[in-house]
Amino acid sequence: MKTLFATLLGAGVLVVGAVHLSAHHSAIAYDRNADVELTGTIREFQYTNPHSWLYVQVGDKTGQTVDWGFEAEGPSTLLLAGIKVSLLKPGEKITVKGHPLKDGRPAAILVSVTKADGSVLSSDAALRRGPGGKPIDAP
Amino acid sequence: MHVLLRPIAAGVAIITVCLCVPRTVAAQEYEKWYKLSEQQFLELKQKARGGTKMTWDKLPDWTGVWTHDGGTRFDPKIPNYAPTSAKLTPEYRAKFEKKLADQKQGVEWDHLSYCLPAGFPRWITEPFLREFIVRPEEVWWINEQQSEVRRIYIDGRGHVPEDEAYATWTGDSIGFWDGDTLVVHTINNKEGQYNRGQPDYSDKVSTVERIRKVSADVIEDDITVYDPLSLVEPWHVVNRYVRVKTPNLRINMWSCEENNNVVKTQDGSTQFILKGETGYKDPNSLITGPGGTQAPK
Repeated sequence: MKTLFATLLGAGVLVVGAVHLSAHHSAIAYDRNADVELTGTIREFQYTNPHSWLYVQVGDKTGQTVDWGFEAEGPSTLLLAGIKVSLLKPGEKITVKGHPLKDGRPAAILVSVTKADGSVLSSDAALRRGPGGKPIDAP
Repeated sequence: MHVLLRPIAAGVAIITVCLCVPRTVAAQEYEKWYKLSEQQFLELKQKARGGTKMTWDKLPDWTGVWTHDGGTRFDPKIPNYAPTSAKLTPEYRAKFEKKLADQKQGVEWDHLSYCLPAGFPRWITEPFLREFIVRPEEVWWINEQQSEVRRIYIDGRGHVPEDEAYATWTGDSIGFWDGDTLVVHTINNKEGQYNRGQPDYSDKVSTVERIRKVSADVIEDDITVYDPLSLVEPWHVVNRYVRVKTPNLRINMWSCEENNNVVKTQDGSTQFILKGETGYKDPNSLITGPGGTQAPK
């Protein structure tokens, strides 16, 4: 696990204003001043209320794998951000960014998902990109 | 007797009883503040000459999907976790300051995480999608979160009689139309908080709202909050709801228990049970899968 946490980017300037996790629970357990960026394979996308959870299987340098959970808003808020359930399928390889739990367990608030084609999904309109990483119009 | 007048008559009776029975300050204050909010409501109704007789062809068009503008702030001008514009009583100011101090120490909990409703007037600022169903005799204000429906009776009825009344999550709302403005009086609420990072209110809270569509894409709710236990003077705020224009967007059933693995820690803060950990409720197995809460042997 230590090698996994070596991927934590540490403190940084974050764009968190558009990360909505304010409705159903406090976000006090997360460290909004830290980033984690991981590449792995989607295990499951729970497209549910009150929150969705994207589970990603991530390998570390020792060859072991860990399932990371990334918490996002519920379906209607994700839809407003263009994040359809059909866009994130199990088995798909992605790079995902988030703000991790303070206690070190493998979970984070979802900030963005970069797909293999370079498109970026995010509740933050400023982060969204189309295929190839090209800018797209904010909805 | 008009139901609205019953509390006044009851008040006269209580005053009579009070000649020989000591009463608490809180009860006296509540009676005064309830009358203040009721007085504002009745004055508005008198000004509207009893209210506009609404028929189907005159109803304003509030169709569409809407969402609260400005996050979860009750006073849109004041950010959460900042000094409030509400004039709080010493007791509730101390509560608020403790809440902010706890949050700075990493301790914060919200009863929503138990999958309970937000309660009213916090309901005003809940996020996600909303819908208004406007009928001549009743308005339903639907909030996606918890699939809540707030019913506003505008058929001329008064509040629930005092001997049948109890606190509810959306309160008891009656109203009338003043032209295209819906005027609403709400009582019988549960105690709660305007939001995390905002003050609390007591179960004596009552409100008067004036709701109207101010432009094609904006509905405005002008609210005055009365609460003898938490406020030293009424709190006036204006909240706005903006039209959500995403095509084909629908408000679906919203179940909080569908995927809730939030737990309260021993120190009163918020934590998660993650997939694979003891106690995790897997949304995939809640309906037909194995596991679940075991009945005692």
